[in-house]
Amino acid sequence: MRRRMTALVLLSALAFVVQGWGGLAPIRAAGQQTVHLTAWTIGPDEPSYYRKDNLLSAADALNKQLAAEGSGIRVTLDATFATGGGQTWGAYKQRFVLAAQSGKAPDIVATGNEDIAAWAAAGYVIPLDTYVKQYKQFADVIPSLWNATKFDGRIYAIPQDVEARPLYFSMPFLAKLGWSQDKIAGLPKAIEAGQFTLTDMLQTAKEAQDKGLVLKGYGWWIRPINGPAYYMYYEAFGGKMTDASGKLLLDTKALRGDYSFFHDAVFTYSVTPKDIIGTDWNSWHGAVVGKQVLFTQCGTWCWAQWIQQYKMPADEVWKTYGFALVPSGTKGGRPVTLSHPIVYMISKSSPHADLAARLLALATTPQLNARHAVTSGHLAVLTDEAQVPAYAQDTFAKDTIYMLRYTTFLPNDALFGTYDQAIWEGLSAVVSGKMTADQAVQTVTQQLQTNLSDHVVIR
Amino acid sequence: MKPSPESLSGKPVTAQGAARRRWPAGGYPALFLAPAGLVVLALFLAPALLTIVISLTNLSVATGLTHYRWIGLANYLQIAHSPWLSLILWNTLIYVACTLVLFNVGLALVLALLTAHLSERAAGVFRVLWMLPRITPSVVYALMWRWAAAQAPYGTLSQLLGLFGIPGRNWMNAHPWAFVIGLNGLVGASFGMIIFSSAITAIPRDQYLAAQVDGASAWQQVWRITLPRLRWPVLFVTAYQTLSLLTSFEYILLTTNGGPGFYTTEVWSLYAFHLALSNYFGNTQFGLGAALAAILVVLGVGASVCYLRLFRFSELVSPPRIEVN
Repeated sequence: MRRRMTALVLLSALAFVVQGWGGLAPIRAAGQQTVHLTAWTIGPDEPSYYRKDNLLSAADALNKQLAAEGSGIRVTLDATFATGGGQTWGAYKQRFVLAAQSGKAPDIVATGNEDIAAWAAAGYVIPLDTYVKQYKQFADVIPSLWNATKFDGRIYAIPQDVEARPLYFSMPFLAKLGWSQDKIAGLPKAIEAGQFTLTDMLQTAKEAQDKGLVLKGYGWWIRPINGPAYYMYYEAFGGKMTDASGKLLLDTKALRGDYSFFHDAVFTYSVTPKDIIGTDWNSWHGAVVGKQVLFTQCGTWCWAQWIQQYKMPADEVWKTYGFALVPSGTKGGRPVTLSHPIVYMISKSSPHADLAARLLALATTPQLNARHAVTSGHLAVLTDEAQVPAYAQDTFAKDTIYMLRYTTFLPNDALFGTYDQAIWEGLSAVVSGKMTADQAVQTVTQQLQTNLSDHVVIR
Repeated sequence: MKPSPESLSGKPVTAQGAARRRWPAGGYPALFLAPAGLVVLALFLAPALLTIVISLTNLSVATGLTHYRWIGLANYLQIAHSPWLSLILWNTLIYVACTLVLFNVGLALVLALLTAHLSERAAGVFRVLWMLPRITPSVVYALMWRWAAAQAPYGTLSQLLGLFGIPGRNWMNAHPWAFVIGLNGLVGASFGMIIFSSAITAIPRDQYLAAQVDGASAWQQVWRITLPRLRWPVLFVTAYQTLSLLTSFEYILLTTNGGPGFYTTEVWSLYAFHLALSNYFGNTQFGLGAALAAILVVLGVGASVCYLRLFRFSELVSPPRIEVN
């Protein structure tokens, strides 16, 4: 009897738990089902918060559409936005990979386009070709951006924003150096025409330092951690990351030019500090908004960061800094910039991929993308976005959009991380004085041959 | 009636006693060691074996958990051919040796000896103060150091030194090893201090009294009585802290992250972490990281064996030559 009673109590408890579990989660009221979606987004720059907020706005729009259709489904979105310093990207990607491997990935994840290949190859994210054809919003995406979202010929991601990576120059310092206003204003054109090269930039910075206008080591600064920006200097010397067939490529001549340029910046001209790599981002931005640096290379989003995050008044930023493409490494050469589109992907473990894709379509509108671009210093990813008044009237967006004509993207190759590891280590060794440019090129070549074998072409 | 069996001592053997005798030699010790053995098996041997197995694959983000291949010793060959191997090994040696000698054993010993000569109450307060870095969460502790060392006008250190006319700078970037070793050592010293203090307290007081009667100075008491009796705890602290330092990298990660510049403070375990779990472009290499971790296990075991020989471990655990009942 006692055993029966115990079994009855246990079964009742089980029934209660199952009922509660099943009853509380998706069913809110008779005939209505609530679907919970999760999304992880990242800045790490603070002004890029619309990467999350646009998804929340899209969730509202989706619920209105569902209500209008008479559907019993409603969507709630739990979205996060990661910000922080140098380790934010690494920690964010690590979290997604571990979550994906344990089947707990969010439905939607925002990341850089370079992750598409590795995550698609591992099966963490799903192809979106069907959805891209299904929703008209995606037809407005600037066509060239789709190339950055493909792996093995299939689309795995939806572009969220794009950027250029300008060279910022301090107009007051150049004026003190004796440059006329016309010459300062004409610098972007001179760079575009290949008349002002990377070496000219180093010489100008050295001159400003020698005249005591700029502190030693404050002539030219680049980001203090690894990132796509460093490949611009390889490209400035004619380097390409892939060959015509799309295979990873190392051009040793261009890499030697790239490494020699960095060696010159740190040791020959002493316009960049030896320990620039590893400098804290806050200190780095602090020096820039403190108007201490003559030439600074940073993405378009930095413009918004200096104003919003580091509280430099907008008119001060405009008075202090001009912007241009990154100069060519050779006279008459083509200037460069590089784009690293942030994209949304849908994880394979998402039980609601259809709804997630529909939500992404509703987040891909000229109005939402424009408010993100204007607020965060990014550029348009939609053809109609440039017509949105907020974007059309934004001087910085208008003045930098031409840079996209010169842009390139990182290759979508699953082993790009291994390729980058070797090139980054070589560059760091040169900047810290542990290797000459020639030694570093030789080491990188050996490393790539050992680690990537026939996956890379070395010229 | 059958006579009951008798033991060698002449006492009758009970049924319980007979059952006990049926245990094979070493049965009881094995039984008592079994729970600890299972813990070691599950928490040390199994992960170590798993690490070695993973190190023989090309497992990475790109392969996922299903598309990996067995590649034999390729990861180990890649490590052997790495041009940065000697640099990272040297960094690891500097980090472990300096932290261990200067702080985890050296400073700990000094603190234990000093507090042994204080009143119980004062010694307690002093030890608690030294425990503060250990009980402070790692992230908070590391961030406090980062902000203290930050460049002028933000860093506390720059502000303080500015009062003496010393120009401000980012002190952690200027002297990364001093900070990495110092902030690890200040946490590690408290561990040794507690162990050594306990060992000093356990030394019979009459030995010191006898020495004083014989006219021994304070230094002679420390040299002739205290230090010889600390050989066992010093071995334990040295071996334990060496293994701990070889595998711990959280404070380096949170402060210099292996920099500034090129692998300036990158130690073996941090390098393994960077390759296996944290790559800017996402394609982290679990197989290669596991190979680095497996080598670390070998280094740790090698160091332990060296310590056991150096401190003549067999003598420490040998039975006493006389037995006092």
